Amino acid sequence: MKKIRQQFADTVLEVGVKDKKLVVMVADISHGIMQPFAKKCSNRYYNIGICESSIVNMAAGLSKSGLNPVVHTIAPFITERAFEQLKLDFGYQKQNLNLVSVGGSFDYSKLGCTHHCYTDVSLFSHFKDASIMIPGSSEEFDVLFKKNYKKKNIKYFRIPENSHEITFKKKQIVFGKAIKVTDGKHLTIVVTGTQLKNAIEAKNILFKQDYSVEILYYHTIRPFDHLKLRASLKKTKRLLTIEELSAHGGLYDQCIRSTIGINGIKTKQLAIFDFIRGYGSYEDLCSRAGLNTLNIVTKALKLIK
Amino acid sequence: MILNKDLRIKIVKMITKAGEGHIPSSFSILDIVHFLYNNIIKYKSRNPKWEKRDYFVLSKGHGAPALYVVLNKFKILKDKHIMEYGSKIGILGGHPDATKVPGVEASTGSLGHGFPTAIGLALGLKIQKKTNKIFVLIGDGECHEGTIWESANIATNLNLGNVCAIVDWNGSAAQLMPKDDLLNKWKAFGWKTFVVNGHSDDEFKKVFKKIKFSLNGTPSLVLAKTIKGKGVSFLEGHGKWHHKLPNKEEQKKIFKELT
Repeated sequence: MKKIRQQFADTVLEVGVKDKKLVVMVADISHGIMQPFAKKCSNRYYNIGICESSIVNMAAGLSKSGLNPVVHTIAPFITERAFEQLKLDFGYQKQNLNLVSVGGSFDYSKLGCTHHCYTDVSLFSHFKDASIMIPGSSEEFDVLFKKNYKKKNIKYFRIPENSHEITFKKKQIVFGKAIKVTDGKHLTIVVTGTQLKNAIEAKNILFKQDYSVEILYYHTIRPFDHLKLRASLKKTKRLLTIEELSAHGGLYDQCIRSTIGINGIKTKQLAIFDFIRGYGSYEDLCSRAGLNTLNIVTKALKLIK
Repeated sequence: MILNKDLRIKIVKMITKAGEGHIPSSFSILDIVHFLYNNIIKYKSRNPKWEKRDYFVLSKGHGAPALYVVLNKFKILKDKHIMEYGSKIGILGGHPDATKVPGVEASTGSLGHGFPTAIGLALGLKIQKKTNKIFVLIGDGECHEGTIWESANIATNLNLGNVCAIVDWNGSAAQLMPKDDLLNKWKAFGWKTFVVNGHSDDEFKKVFKKIKFSLNGTPSLVLAKTIKGKGVSFLEGHGKWHHKLPNKEEQKKIFKELT
């Protein structure tokens, strides 16, 4: 299965060859896989250097000159470090930015907390016009990027290192719309990113215990598909959210807005509540945050029973 | 000699009426901004978004009143806009809002943002082979910000010869960091440097005749020696007047010195 980061390189190459206004700036990350773009679009590729804040400001300048900028590097450095630049240049001034990150949450699990990023999605949630996407497969990235990259707002694409390994047809992937992965009546699981894989495993375990789970998968966090969730919750009355994100301002918060006016809803949230210190594999750190199949089953049963 | 006395009076009137603004900082940069619009920058009053215009970015956003009165003098802003400065019905405030104000290219105020934006703008124009020039005004205190030096480095590495930065060198930076060697720093970053009296049109003219613009060259840096509060004796220098409003008695003294 193609890595989503590779798809990013392939998609911007395909788009960039046709659209002379597409410009890519990286902060010394993914430089190798970007070489085809660099060769085909030689005056529109810049490995600027390790200066993330300035790169975001520069992207504002590119946008002011009429170009469509793409900025790419590791999530904490381009979102948390450069947040004021993002706020003022793009939140306040409403310009075009395509921000493509890698290394959200635990993808650099063995490099420690300096390279983790939990808060990116919640930070962008403060901007009414921002589009926030977590493409969990290469197809999702391709569809979502092509659909959105020219728009005059912030588009944040959070690329996970690992795909959820489910292949959706391209026509199933619609910007701003959740994908109903399974039908169910006892519980609604809302999930984003790589965690879809764990959610499906948990659903299979629960099925053996005669519980059916409706899984709604969100590749787009903003705009949020409230309609699909409300329809599901009216049926199940039970909501479990799974997000490899800060517990504040992310998927759960969006879901809670969907529950307004629906009585008798019970909810639980699996998310990141504090720094996950230490090292280990991606799965190790996810487990430390409670983001694994066993814990999903445990929490689901508490909600259902 | 004090230049632009009429504009200085206008700045004091608009700021005192609104009860907000930085008078000494505006006086510090006024002659630079006026010189650029009067002699160098290409613009169309009735079409501020004219495709062939030169770009001026006020990175030192709190000097905005100086920019406003210059834009007003050259008919980009209306008298009405100046009258409504700082009010709920107006578009002008203590820091400029590019989403609303004709002639303002970037919303600035938080220091260290406008300059890298101007560098991005220069790169964007270079990519498109457009020959518009970019002028960006930075405070010397603003040069404490790390993004200034990141971007200074980027500009020379990308050969952005379409940029001219002007530093309002009024000594603010040296209050906190006395090693005030800005000339050597900019030289070390590879910029072609010029030093000028920031309150002299004649000196500016001589310097700007020497500045070469190109899409593949060395960016230029004009270090403009200025006096914060220039033009009114008791406003000059550093200290309490930075963000202070004059009372009626003090206003009379200001107007007397400028008349």
